[in-house]
Amino acid sequence: MKKLLISACALAFIGYGLSENIGTQAANAQTGTLVLVANGEDFIRQGFVSKDGWQIDFDHAYVTLNQVKAYSTEPAFDPAGETPLEPKQTVALITQAKTIDLAEGEENAEPIMVTQTGAPVGAYNALSWKVVPAQAGSAQGNSIVLAGTASKNEQKIDFVIGFNQELDYTCGEYVGEDRKGIVQAGNMAQVETTFHFDHIFGDNSLPTEDALNQESIGFEPLASLAQNGQLKVNQTDLEQKLDQENYAKLQQALSGLGHVGEGHCRS
Amino acid sequence: MTNQQNLKYLAFFLLFSSLGFSRQVFAHGANIVYQYKQAIEVKATYDDGTPMSKAQVVIYAPDNPAIPWQKGTTDEEGKFSFIPSSDVSGNWDIKIRQSGHGDIISIPWQTDQPTSVVESQENISNLADSTYTPMQKIVMAASGVWGFVGTALFFSRQKSPS
Repeated sequence: MKKLLISACALAFIGYGLSENIGTQAANAQTGTLVLVANGEDFIRQGFVSKDGWQIDFDHAYVTLNQVKAYSTEPAFDPAGETPLEPKQTVALITQAKTIDLAEGEENAEPIMVTQTGAPVGAYNALSWKVVPAQAGSAQGNSIVLAGTASKNEQKIDFVIGFNQELDYTCGEYVGEDRKGIVQAGNMAQVETTFHFDHIFGDNSLPTEDALNQESIGFEPLASLAQNGQLKVNQTDLEQKLDQENYAKLQQALSGLGHVGEGHCRS
Repeated sequence: MTNQQNLKYLAFFLLFSSLGFSRQVFAHGANIVYQYKQAIEVKATYDDGTPMSKAQVVIYAPDNPAIPWQKGTTDEEGKFSFIPSSDVSGNWDIKIRQSGHGDIISIPWQTDQPTSVVESQENISNLADSTYTPMQKIVMAASGVWGFVGTALFFSRQKSPS
């Protein structure tokens, strides 16, 4: 009798263990790789002309990313609405602050590869991330550092502009030429943090009355702070030296900096 | 880019059965038949209400979200219509872009199955996707053990003297 009982227990648990194993193996097979890239677009890689006629070229554009997460949501997350993001699946891409130079590479370089991780198969159609002050390195104390040269007519200004404002973006699906974020078994898919620096400086190729130009500060207010062709300022300096309207525009522009390709973010 | 786009999902056009013509057959004749189908029409505008006319449209079907199912362009009013596959239910994603501005929208679409059947399938699907809690697993294991024990006891019982 006792032998029978022991045998029955053993059989039951072996059967249960086998079914768990089979389930785990099936789940493992349904994974791919999610790659995070950061993109400052052609504005950073190739330079551009601000709304007020300054040719701006960047040597460095440091951003420090943290808490980057990709999500699979259904229905799709709408950053323009007020409904909270309710993911079916979440993949953490960055859990410790990491500084990236968006100006790295040639004029036509691909977006900067930041990190990659395994991810369950699915459509990652939302992304959230923070831009935080760096604890060390070239951008220490700042969440964003822009370094380069601005020129207009005979004037030339070497600038280093630091921002220490912490930024928090929650975005929908990447919008661009290709579709991103679709992880298939054994394959790689990208998600992208995109930065639109024309929101700060405006874009001379657009009409003056375009909303982008109306809401940006251009480069002229910053040029007026330069001395002997040098401009080195942090956000505290800008808060003190820019007029209230321009500083408010600057803060707003920083809040609207984060995108997913052409797709928008809640901040 | 500050100009957000509004992709407005306008309407379903209704559907009915196929209608065909019966006509005399000629060796080199042309023949036209028609049928009513369900279609989806979207309209894309900029924030200020200006239509995104002649904008690029890319449609992704629910069963293959990585590969475009159809491409096209909006008309002068920013509108675009398409007929989803009659046998592919789920979210059809429509991306519309123009001059560095763009948006993507998901439109739920169900095939011609009766609603009650679809709801029933969703319930089954949700159940299959769910994960068991540790307590549920213990109870299931215990039930299995009890089944084996019961079977063992049944076969090992002593026959009562007749």
